[in-house]
Amino acid sequence: MRSSSSPNWEDNVNVVEAVQAIVHTYPEATIVSSLGTATSAARHVTGDGPHFYFGAAMGSALAGALGLAEAAPHRQVVAVLGDGDFLMGANSLWSLSACRPTNLLVVVLADGAYSITGGQTISCPLRLAEVGAALEGLSGATADTAEALRAELTSLPQPGLIEARISESVWPGPSPFVDPAEVVRSVRASLATR
Amino acid sequence: MTTSTPTILQWQAEVVDQLLAADVSVAAFVPDSRLNGVLTALSGRGVPLRSLTREEECVAYAAGARIAGKRAVVMLQSSGIGNALNALGTLAVPYRLGIPMIVSMRGTLGETNPSQIPIGRATSPMLGSLGIQSFSLRSADDAASMTEAVLNMAYQAGETSAVLLEPELGGQRERR
Repeated sequence: MRSSSSPNWEDNVNVVEAVQAIVHTYPEATIVSSLGTATSAARHVTGDGPHFYFGAAMGSALAGALGLAEAAPHRQVVAVLGDGDFLMGANSLWSLSACRPTNLLVVVLADGAYSITGGQTISCPLRLAEVGAALEGLSGATADTAEALRAELTSLPQPGLIEARISESVWPGPSPFVDPAEVVRSVRASLATR
Repeated sequence: MTTSTPTILQWQAEVVDQLLAADVSVAAFVPDSRLNGVLTALSGRGVPLRSLTREEECVAYAAGARIAGKRAVVMLQSSGIGNALNALGTLAVPYRLGIPMIVSMRGTLGETNPSQIPIGRATSPMLGSLGIQSFSLRSADDAASMTEAVLNMAYQAGETSAVLLEPELGGQRERR
């Protein structure tokens, strides 16, 4: 169980900065992003890069990332999930614990709200550092700043869970609604060529 | 407590033969008695099994494998179709990922548990309402051809589709 934090309030982090940290650390990774802020941020940061954007299927992105990671073991996979989406499919953590792919990081953008539906509050803290420590084969960490997130991305054993605490609310820009056919085409092309 | 290795029935062996002929790479499933023989035979012939926690998780796991070009199959009990509808309707179907499903039917012929009846009766209509074709397998004589056909629909045409294993097949479900 690890926790990286900074007392400096100027270190506030938003979802775009968090995804920038992921892409900077793993530029060749395939991102699997959940509906909403996570998909919008991933599209924004990567210029609509070839990633597995979920246009719906709330609660299923973690399982999708697990299937992709096991099917493409030589590719780094990063699941970028909203905290609301994560909670809808948190049972998949136990599957992750059983399968233990060593090419999968799970980053939960924890802003404490269901942003896509109007910002309703998520009432319970995620405590992913403790959850990761409790489940066999997993590791967990909490990051309060972009710098701390970058550090955990490079040092946390995989499969690992990172609770990226989002302290600044922004909407990244691109629509979270994607063209499924284009998503499938681009991901398959990316996996075939790199 | 002891567990016994299930006897592999003819229809189960023929389903497995077709899955192997289609180069299935992984089977994601939620347990069911009628599926035991299929799963045991698959594992015995080297196909990785993933026992997941919920049916929609199986669909999403298979979606991740399919987008990576692998050939996943999902196996579940019909009662779990209710759990899987969101992932089927908002992921497997619109992304045209072609996920084959093998569904062990409850709530149909001879069912003694009243709680199983509504979803058993609704399984095929629910799938159909999402545009997912399903085909009832009642005889071992049809096991190979129907399984092959559904796998072709999924892997070649990109159509998520299902084989429904009906009670007439037998397979360890009759007295439960």
